[in-house]
Order: sequence, then structure tokens, then C-alpha cells
Amino acid sequence: MQRYRLALALALVLTVSFSPLSYAQAPEAAQASDPAAAKLQIDISQIKLEVGETATITATVTDADGNVIETPELIYFSMARRNVGIKDGVIEAYRPGEEMRIIAAVPHDGMNFRALRNPAAIAANPLIQMITVTVPTPPIADVTINDPPELFYSGTRVVLETTVTDASGAERTEAELTFDSSDASVARVSPSGTLSLLAPGNATIVAKAGDKTHSLPIEVMANGTASVELTASAEDARTGDVVRFWATARDANGGTLDSMPVQYAFQTRTINHELGDPGSGMITEDGRFVADEAGEYTIFAMAGAHTASMTIGVTNRDVKREIEILGQGAVRDRATSDLWVWEGPDGRDYAVTGTHNADGHAYFWDVTDPRNMQIIDTIRVDARTVNDVKVNEEGTIAVISREGASNRRNGLVILDVSDLQNKGAQILSRYDDELTGGVHNVFVYEDHVYALSAGQRYDIINIEDPTAPHRVGRFELDTPGHSIHDVWVTDGIAYSSNWLDGVVAVDIGGGDKGGTPRSPVMLGKTPYPNGWNHAAFPFRSKSTGKFYMIGGDEAGERGGTPGYDGEPPRMQGWIHIFEWDEWDNPTEVARYQVPEAGTHNVWVDEENEILYVAYYQGGLRVVDISGELLGDLYRQGREIAYFLPFDPDGFVPNAPFTWGPQPFKGNIFFADYHSGLWAVRLKPREGEEGVADGSRD
Amino acid sequence: MNTHASRRTLPGLLAVALVASVGIGAAGGYEVVGAQERTYYLYVAAESEDVVEKISFGPGGFQKIASIPVGVFPTETEGPHGLAVSPDGEYWFVTVAHGNPFGILFKYDTATDTYQGDVKLGLFPATISISPSTGLLFAANFNLHGDHVPSSVSVVETETMTEVAQIPTGVMPHGSRMNKAGSKQYSVAMMSDELREIDVYRMETSRVLPLSENAPSWMHYQEHGNGLMDENMSDHSGMGHGAMAGGSHEAMKPPIIKPTWASPPTPQGKIYVAGNGSARILEVDLESWKVTRTFENTSKGPYNLDVTSDGKQLAVTYKSDKAVGIWDLELGEETANIPTLRPIPHGMVISPDNRYAFASIEGIGGEPGSVEAYDMQTGERVGNIDLAKQAGGIVVWKMQ
Repeated sequence: MQRYRLALALALVLTVSFSPLSYAQAPEAAQASDPAAAKLQIDISQIKLEVGETATITATVTDADGNVIETPELIYFSMARRNVGIKDGVIEAYRPGEEMRIIAAVPHDGMNFRALRNPAAIAANPLIQMITVTVPTPPIADVTINDPPELFYSGTRVVLETTVTDASGAERTEAELTFDSSDASVARVSPSGTLSLLAPGNATIVAKAGDKTHSLPIEVMANGTASVELTASAEDARTGDVVRFWATARDANGGTLDSMPVQYAFQTRTINHELGDPGSGMITEDGRFVADEAGEYTIFAMAGAHTASMTIGVTNRDVKREIEILGQGAVRDRATSDLWVWEGPDGRDYAVTGTHNADGHAYFWDVTDPRNMQIIDTIRVDARTVNDVKVNEEGTIAVISREGASNRRNGLVILDVSDLQNKGAQILSRYDDELTGGVHNVFVYEDHVYALSAGQRYDIINIEDPTAPHRVGRFELDTPGHSIHDVWVTDGIAYSSNWLDGVVAVDIGGGDKGGTPRSPVMLGKTPYPNGWNHAAFPFRSKSTGKFYMIGGDEAGERGGTPGYDGEPPRMQGWIHIFEWDEWDNPTEVARYQVPEAGTHNVWVDEENEILYVAYYQGGLRVVDISGELLGDLYRQGREIAYFLPFDPDGFVPNAPFTWGPQPFKGNIFFADYHSGLWAVRLKPREGEEGVADGSRD
Repeated sequence: MNTHASRRTLPGLLAVALVASVGIGAAGGYEVVGAQERTYYLYVAAESEDVVEKISFGPGGFQKIASIPVGVFPTETEGPHGLAVSPDGEYWFVTVAHGNPFGILFKYDTATDTYQGDVKLGLFPATISISPSTGLLFAANFNLHGDHVPSSVSVVETETMTEVAQIPTGVMPHGSRMNKAGSKQYSVAMMSDELREIDVYRMETSRVLPLSENAPSWMHYQEHGNGLMDENMSDHSGMGHGAMAGGSHEAMKPPIIKPTWASPPTPQGKIYVAGNGSARILEVDLESWKVTRTFENTSKGPYNLDVTSDGKQLAVTYKSDKAVGIWDLELGEETANIPTLRPIPHGMVISPDNRYAFASIEGIGGEPGSVEAYDMQTGERVGNIDLAKQAGGIVVWKMQ
């Protein structure tokens, strides 16, 4: 939206405006002398522009007598400003779109932009004109078959990778792409671009999008493979174990054909095949295989007419364990949020839980005996939600977050919890500077609080003197529309969860990039196409030496069962597992997805390689993450146990809605939104000891 | 001219005592003072429960009609904030302020209270108003997330729910109000002590009135653009901002007035501004564009205010003093100062017939939110209804 002004009006404006304490424009000075009788005419009513193209509108305003008003005041605005802009009367096409509208108007009393869906209504007003802009989808400018192999052999298949770009330079992943072969007896190509090489000879493969083509002449050579050799890292495996297969094509002399493509496939017959169990698994192009079901799996390696196969036996992972309920610290009159469990300086074990959408309470529990967890102190702060609670490494300082404070300053509250038995939790200070939007999550690490207010950044607050917290740094992405939800710090690296921007790793002292709390340095970020990244937990796998990032979704919708108002939300989402050994090369390799439920917070016990997931309506989930991770861990039977915290007297009765887990000293504590704090433990398997201490320290 | 508040608190207190004996907190528990035949319908946003309450106030007192869940994220408190009803009464609009990161304006129809559309706006869109002339909606992007940076007012075409412009404005803009003609929109910038006038037809700021000596000058805006603070703060390239200890916004002075709302213009050409941080109500003359009167030493925390259509009375919520005030604008005197039943009075709207003032009350923590009704003539509370937590935005839909 721009305007032109009479030069006189501008002069007046500038004269008044440069007062240091006040500026005032002359809003009436530039209007048409008699707007009611004036008329706006523009030279463009419809226009078609290519992306990046511009067009200038010539507007003429005449008064009641038909005289042209010099430099009339006009406003313009676009009804699709992300696709087509208007500035100083110049239209610019940004993105394709059909019949997008730009409004031009002479400002006048009673100006009415209603009925913009009805062009006739706009046309009826002589002082408002509409320009319809169509920006056609740019024509395809280029099709490229990317990096085809240098050699083609009959009897093999090749998946062609292609890139389509349009005239604006944009990649067009949705463009319709067709393939053709000049000689189907030599090579056939599937609609999706998989090339089947049938016989020696020459052919030209053509990829076509729009009227652009890429022709790839190929010479299919006789396949000299005389045999295929297949080896594997194991002949027996459990479900979820990654077995590596290596295939080698050899010629008649036993020589290795290194350039010969080898495809892998597998066939399965599960132990419950006759009961309709379909069996499933995954094999990657480089030969990594994982089975979901117990049974026999035959892996085929194919090169030309030659195939090698290996059959491996897969047994159930057999990691199931029973869960024993130790105790419930019931909170039934309000919703419970997060928890933290720690050992106090006095050697006793404590927990703190927050409350959600209630009255600003945080409960401090003695959980030394998890079968008899008792609230030993309650702190109430001016808030409706204490969403997050954290305690420092020494167990002496707690930090709780505030949302819904009556003064809207929110922020966080720092407490002395060094002597809970005798002194209780004592508020040392409050900190809310520039955290007024409500602090949603915090983390305490080496005398600093990492706090975010559900906005776009996290602040780093020094609490070496907990009575005088002060901000020393902050971190914020620079991507368009970036947003943040949570942050977790370990080993001098902060991992934040950033919805569509995924998990972001930032060096604050342990990343070898010179980062400090005062000057954090970004290390890398994961992709996260579904945009639901809500939680993150790093996992250094002892059994593989790999570094994994556990990313958790949060997504959902309100309950919608007709006639049932008390239905909890229906949450969705899953756990994403990234292999992230190089900061600039994260690869999503696995997931853990419970159908019909949604994830919230997570915790990894690195020592025992166990993942704990608070899965909202799916309760507490305990997952074996030992060994290499690939595919869907849920289907692989890696789930060790689950527990649904039903409470008939809960805030919402019998409605598990698990918020956050924490393993601690061999037990598992978790917070449930509708029923409070729980302590359970995995029962030892026969002949085995219980799970070791999984606490942070 | 400064006018000190002359409060007539006794009638208000007596009214409270009478009211309390009837039954605090019960919907319809009041005997409505004076016969009234009309029924008023209102929408009230409950910020901490993500619902919009639809209520009526009639001869039988308050009634709750419906509780409409709003927002998109069932497990996060998203904070419905500002409310407006389309000039034809067919639609209501609510801003849901929190977002990822941008807040959303939702559109519902008044007949069935069903969703009609939405559009993303800026950071923490709060108060809204609709021009009865153009039909365009103006939403002040309050940006409560903490950064004290200039923000914007979003302009939305409400038939197609299209954001057609973002007009640059001051720091933490709030209190979107429209003149009767729908040609001017007024809001205040809480952290830069300004009253701002937007020319609705031109979709641009037409006038800025600094409300204190700490307000940034126009020259300052020209020189600094969107960077009222040091370079580090406006640089969102991600890293560090290391020199933050001990305060970050050296170039910006703290506000003195902390204005939170502007009233709609009166027929006399005045606008009243609630000086939330200074216990003042400022009267601004639209023609001279100057502060012409200051009501000093009001109750603490004047927050939201509305004026009768004849411009003779003003009703104001005092957030920090748990009270509502009614002012005679000709005398410049507060004729009633009524303690509210719960703390944190928030929204204020006067019925179109000037008969009643309705104040939304947030409450604290787990307390219910509520709405109280006051007779503009007697200064007495005549109704109260409990609603969902943190009742804030409030708008009269219609009266029958």
C-alpha cells in the first residue's frame, strides 16, 4: 500500500514533522477536492505477469468537471501480498497465482472495501478500482537427470534422479515428469524413473517436464557378472537389529566388478505367517537390513541375471519387561506439568512438579521412598501455569517458570532447595526482564539458566549469585518465521527444539567452536519437515559410537466425540531419530511411533541405552535403543514396556495423559497431566538385575 | 490543565455491601437496579482457558449462553485476547495471541459461533477494531514476548481474511479503537509512551503524539527505523548478543505513562488515554493534537476505558487497585469508584445505549474470570457472572 501526495502536502508534512517531540501530517490536504464527484481511472484492469516481472500502473483522477487532478493521492494494496506486491504504483509478481487482486483507491470519507469478493461492488465505486493479476506458473526451463552412472549393464536397474526447474529458477518438485526410452528392448523406464536395462545395445532415455526434455544416451553393455557373492554381518538377529549385507558381483574369472550395481530385496515368512502376520522390515540401498517381525528373512542381492541370497533367522527381540507400580503422588484437583527428580545435599531424594492452567503451584516431594511420596513443601507463585521445573547439578537451586502471571511479567522464579527438610523451598529471586510473554521452558546448566518465552529465542541468564540473576546472552535463529519451544543443555551444547526449524545445536562451551554462554555459536540443525519439533534429547550410543538426536513431536487436536465434553485432546506425533555424527549432515534414520497417541517429553538413559517417552494418551513408554537404529522401533518390538496411569479419581478420571519421564536410581518417575507424580520400575527379568541408575549424574 | 480525581467512593462501597449480601459470584444473583428491559449480548475472551464466553445481561441478570473453544493447540495456552464484532453484527473476531511465533485472527459467525476462517498476523496480536466504513480490521501486534522493539498494526480484509498491510508503529502497541466514521484508528504504544493515529483510508500512521518526554521522537524513528535499541538487539542473526548484562536498550528511555488503551473519540473531539504506569488519564484534543487535561492520581493502574456515545462519561478499569471508575467528563471528576469483586479488572465496554458499563475481571491464578456490570447513572454494580480464567477482551455484540 503506497500513496502519492501533492507536493504541497508533502511540504506541509515535513514542516510539521520535524518537531522533535511531535509530528503530524495533514490528513485532509491531499484528498481530491470533491471526492464524491471524482473518478479514478487506471490503465490496467487485468494483467498477466511472469514471476519477477513488474508493471507500472498509470492512474488518473478527475474531478467533478472532468479535470485531471495532478499527482492525486492514491493508495494501493494487494490482496495476495505474498504472491504479488504493489509499491509506488508498480506491481511486482513474486509467486504464481490466479486472479489475485490489487486494490487502487482514492482515499475518501466512507470508503468501503467490503465485498471484495464481488468485483461488481468494487466497480460501482468510481474511486476504487481493482486490478486482477495472474502470475502463471513459470514454464519449465530445465530438466536434468542428475549424476547418472557412467556404465550401464544389462540385467540391472538404475533409479534416475532428476531435477526440474522453472523459468524463475525455482525447483519444481510437483512438476509432472514423464520418461521414455527410444528402444524398449534395450531399456525400459518406469513412470517414476526406474530404468530396467534389458539387453546390450544403445538407447536414449528422455525425461520430459513441460516442453523441456533431457536426453540421456546410454550404452547398455553385456553384463559380465558370472556370480554374486553375498555376505552378512550376522546370520541370526533379533527384530530391530541392523544386519549389514555386502554384495560383490564377480566376472567369470572371479574378478570384482566394482561398477556393477547391485539391488537388494527381501522376502519374509514370519513365525505367524499362517495367522495373517504380514511381516515387514527395511533394507537400505547400501545393504543395511532390519526386521520388524520374527521369522525367516531371505535377502536377495541381484546383478543382472545373477542373484545371491542369504536367509537369516530373526527372533523376537524379547526385551519386554513388566512394570511394577511403586507409588503415586496424586494431584487430582489440577493438572500436573513437568517434573524433576534429584538427590539433595542431605542424601535424600526429592522431586518437584509443576501445575498447568491452575493456580501457580509447584510441589516439592520427598521421593526417597517412592512407595510413599510425600509433598513436603508447596510454592505458589503469581501464575496460572508453572510449565517447567529444573534443578541445578548440585541439587541446591531450583528454577520454575511462570505463565499467566497477573502482572503479565511472568519470567522465572529461582529457589533455594538446599535444605528442603528444614527450610523448605525458599524464593531467592524472580527474573522477568524481557521474558514477559510467559516462560515456557527452562534449563539449568553450570550456573546459567536457559529460558525461553515461547517466542523466537532463548535467553541465557547467569545465576552464579542466584539472588542477582542477570542475562549474559541469548540465541535466536534467523530463518523466516522461526519459533522455539524448548532447550536442553548437556556437555556444553544447547539443543533447542524449534518446530519447523527442527533441533538446533549451539556451542556454549563444549562444541569446540569457541561458544560461550555470552557468545553462543550455532553448530547445526536437523531438518524437520512436519514442523512439530517440541522436544530434543541427545544420545551418545555406547554400543555403536554413534551420536543420535532424539526429536519429539507435539501435535494434536481437541477431542471431538459428539456429546462428550470431557474428552482429552487427541494428540499425535512420533519420535524422530537422527544420526548426527557431523553437525552439517544430520540424517533421519529411525522413528518410534505409537499409533493413535502423541508424544511429549523424552529422556534417554545412555548407560542402559533406554529411551523413555511420555506419550500423552499412550502413557509412559520404555524403549530399547541399544545398537544401531534404523526403521520403526515400535514395529520392531523394541518397546520394553508401557504403562497407562489410570486414576479413577484423577483430574480427568481414567484418562492417561503423560507429560514427562525421568529415570532415577533404577526407578522411573513420571508426571501425568491428570493424575500427578508416579514412580514405577521395570521388574528385573529372571536372572537379571534391575536397570541401573539412569539419573543425569 | 490538570484535574485531580474527586472520587465519590461511598456510594460505590455501599453498593458493594448490598451486592455482597445478595450473593457474590452467582450469575443472575443481583436484583438489577432500575427496571431495564433490554438484553445485552457480549463476547468475553478467557485468556488462560482458550475459550470465548458468550453471555447475556438482561432483566434476569447475567446468563452464560455458550463457551466456545478457540485456538489450535490443545495442550498449550494460546491466549485469546482481543475481540470485535463486525459492523453488521454477523461475525465476531478474536486474536489468539501466542503462536509459533505469529498469532492468529479467527473469524466466527455470531448466529452459530462456528469457525469461518483465520489469518496469521504479527507477534502477539492483541486488541482489534473494525472500521465501519472500510470493513477493514486493525489488530495491534502487541509483541509481549519481551523485546522492546517497534511493532506493527495488521490490517485485515475480513471477508477473505487476508492481511493486506502491516503498518509500522511504536513499541508494544495496544488498545485498538476506531472513530465513529471508521476513518481513524487509535492505539497507544505502551513502552514508547505514544498515542498513534492511523488514517484508515490511507493505511498509514497520520499522527503520533508523544505522551511523555521519554517517548522517542519522530527524528529518532527516522534515524533508527525499527532499531530503537542497540544494534545487537535488532540483529536477529542468531548469535550471542554478549553485551547484555545490566540492560540492553540504551537508546530507549523507559516509559513514564505506560499507556495501555485509548478510548474512541468523543463527539467533542477528545480521546482519553489510560496511563497505566502513572495513575493518570490523559485527555487528548484531536484538533490540536495535544493533551488538554490530565486526571492525576487516579486509582492505580488505569488500564482500559470507554466513553459514552455522548462523550459525557467515561468508565475505566483500575488493574492495580481492584476497582472500576466512572467519570463525569464535563466536571473532570470521578463520580464512582467501585471495588471489583475479584482482582485485576481488565476490559471495559459501555453499552451502546450508555446504560451500563461491563468490565471483565481476570482474577489471579486459579480464580475464575468474571464480568461485572455497572449502572452508569448510579455507579452501582448490578451484575456479576463467573467465567473461565483470566477474562480479558470484551465486546458488546448487540442489544435487544
